[in-house]
Amino acid sequence: MRSRRLAAAVVLAASVALTGCGRDSGGGQDEAKSVGAGKASGDITVWAMGTEGEKLAEFAKEFSTENPDAKVSVTAVPWDAAHQKIASAIAAKQTPDVSMIGTTWQGEFAKSGAFDPTPPDLIKKDDFFPGAWDTTIVDNTSYGVPWYVETRLIYYRKDLAAKAGFPDGPKTWDDLKAMAKGMKDKAGAKWGLNLQPGKTGSWQSVLPFAWSNGADVASATKLSFDTPEMTEALGYYQSFFKEGLSPTALPDGALEPGFVKGEIGAFISGPWHMGIVEEQGGAGFKDKYAVAQMPMKKSSTSFIGGSNLAVFKDAKNRDGAWKFVQWLGKPEVQVKWYQAVKDLPAVQSAWNDSTLSGDTSLTAFGQQLKSAKAPPAITTWEQIAAAFDLEVEKLCKQNADPAATAKAIQEKASAIGTGS
Amino acid sequence: MATKDTTLRTRDRVATTVLYVVLLLGLLAVAGPFVWMALSSLKPEREIRDVPPTWWPETVTLDNFRGLFSRLDFPLYFLNSALVATLVMVGNLLFCSLVGYALAKLRYPGKRALFLAVLGMLMVPGMVTFVPQFVLVSNMGLTNTYAGLILPFLVGPFGVFLMRQFLQSIPDELIEAARVDGAGEFRIFWRVVLPLCRPALATLGILTFLASWNNFLWPLVVATTEDKYTLPVALALYSVGENERNYGLLLAGAVVVVLPVLIVFLVLQRHFLRGIATTGIK
Repeated sequence: MRSRRLAAAVVLAASVALTGCGRDSGGGQDEAKSVGAGKASGDITVWAMGTEGEKLAEFAKEFSTENPDAKVSVTAVPWDAAHQKIASAIAAKQTPDVSMIGTTWQGEFAKSGAFDPTPPDLIKKDDFFPGAWDTTIVDNTSYGVPWYVETRLIYYRKDLAAKAGFPDGPKTWDDLKAMAKGMKDKAGAKWGLNLQPGKTGSWQSVLPFAWSNGADVASATKLSFDTPEMTEALGYYQSFFKEGLSPTALPDGALEPGFVKGEIGAFISGPWHMGIVEEQGGAGFKDKYAVAQMPMKKSSTSFIGGSNLAVFKDAKNRDGAWKFVQWLGKPEVQVKWYQAVKDLPAVQSAWNDSTLSGDTSLTAFGQQLKSAKAPPAITTWEQIAAAFDLEVEKLCKQNADPAATAKAIQEKASAIGTGS
Repeated sequence: MATKDTTLRTRDRVATTVLYVVLLLGLLAVAGPFVWMALSSLKPEREIRDVPPTWWPETVTLDNFRGLFSRLDFPLYFLNSALVATLVMVGNLLFCSLVGYALAKLRYPGKRALFLAVLGMLMVPGMVTFVPQFVLVSNMGLTNTYAGLILPFLVGPFGVFLMRQFLQSIPDELIEAARVDGAGEFRIFWRVVLPLCRPALATLGILTFLASWNNFLWPLVVATTEDKYTLPVALALYSVGENERNYGLLLAGAVVVVLPVLIVFLVLQRHFLRGIATTGIK
């Protein structure tokens, strides 16, 4: 028995020792180097996820036309496991030159020392939405460039909103509550407003309310989830469930059909839902709903998401990689990219183009993006978010006290720390 | 006498009915999702998302399959998967039975320690060794090669353990008789022992083929360009987005991916069941 345990211990110890030797540098004190002048050349390898991965190779041909000596090779990576693939590649120094990076992963990977700092002479910070640019910043250094963005708005049924007394949609917190109530009582909707009752990603629905109430939940060094502003926002969020205006157990995939049938009056989501509800609603549904800015309390602040592009330190073609990233950030290229895959431009001036400024729903997103915020790029954010989601679930489904919830989140988050 | 007969017969009939009901319920629970998957792969996206879910497609469409074959280089991914899974299966059958034979039937110093080491490896979860294994493979320059996809899986502690346990049940007398007749050690293994292992080999074959066919994470990480992707990786490419899922594409893909596994299972199922029975007793 003892020798068996010994054998297991030896094997375990060996594997731990092996895992230990990943990367050594800590990152943080990097000095951004400049990029050589002239046209890009050589092979540039790029990883991208989902639709972006599918369409980028074709799209990048124009870059090769402008830079005849450069060849862009795109590998499509499934969203499901992209995080794992990039993490493993970093550990084994088998990274591509450029990769698309989810905004909430930025802190973790940049801290591991894998990313090349953004050369300021090539990329101009002020071109981008400030909330998007902030997601690239780790320890005061930028490690990437925003590629596309998304933010969350209130989707609502125009007919139900009119019956509830808000033909132009909600403007304030009180409006949103009254509209949800009216949709249920006067307009016959089963649910006034769908809010995510916990589960992965629910922090993205809760934090906009906290931010709109002036709560500053986290910075690179400090976590403050147990503020009065946060508690008030949690209480407001909870009240929709307490008063029976929001479902606590909506089955997966039931939201869109419910919205189309008028059973659900409103919900909060990003731009991708325009395509989904218009497809499911059939012809003419585009006129039956509208999108509104996040309701005002002290401000109207939503969540900004999307993806960045980062160049790896182990890139074989650093110059070419940065030139390709810069090209993707040009306003005219951003507009073309929107036309190709419907990704909202991260570059502010791209929104002046008539393709985007001519669509009222889109301009609502553009307006909201100017003030939208993201959590700070700290290494531990994904862990903190998981703890946050769990407490939100207790708040919505088990009627936990908002102040106690705020305190519980703060305790768990402090135990995890900011990783710096 | 006659009445006793009839009561017995009725009791028999009741027992049979109960048995059938239980089996049918079990079958429904197991086969239901499969049937729904197959039927739903023929539905348009909107119908798949219907709440409550429906069984029969209202409008039958092949769009999901068309999308699958037009957006993905399907034959290439299929061949990659088939090549990798087949070679991994063959490697496991050969090497695991060789090692298992040495652990079960040969006599040499340190055998016990070796077997304990195999048991030790069984206890290490795959995720622990994932990154070191990848670093190793990449240091050998095998990223993005078929060798990198296949080599690490050619032999595994589970297979060795399974074969060793099965081989122990083969009587020593058979082997000794062969030895007396002048057969060499490899000849004994190949001609006498291996043919007796058919149930265990079938089990091992199915399990390793299945594991390799379904493996997602390793091919995802090792293959750095799309031409080395296997089916599960390729399927995840366009069906799962950051914020949305294309269920139609996913279901159509699942139907196509499941087919070869079903075929392998049907061919080997007779041996497989016997194999499970034997290893269960051991």
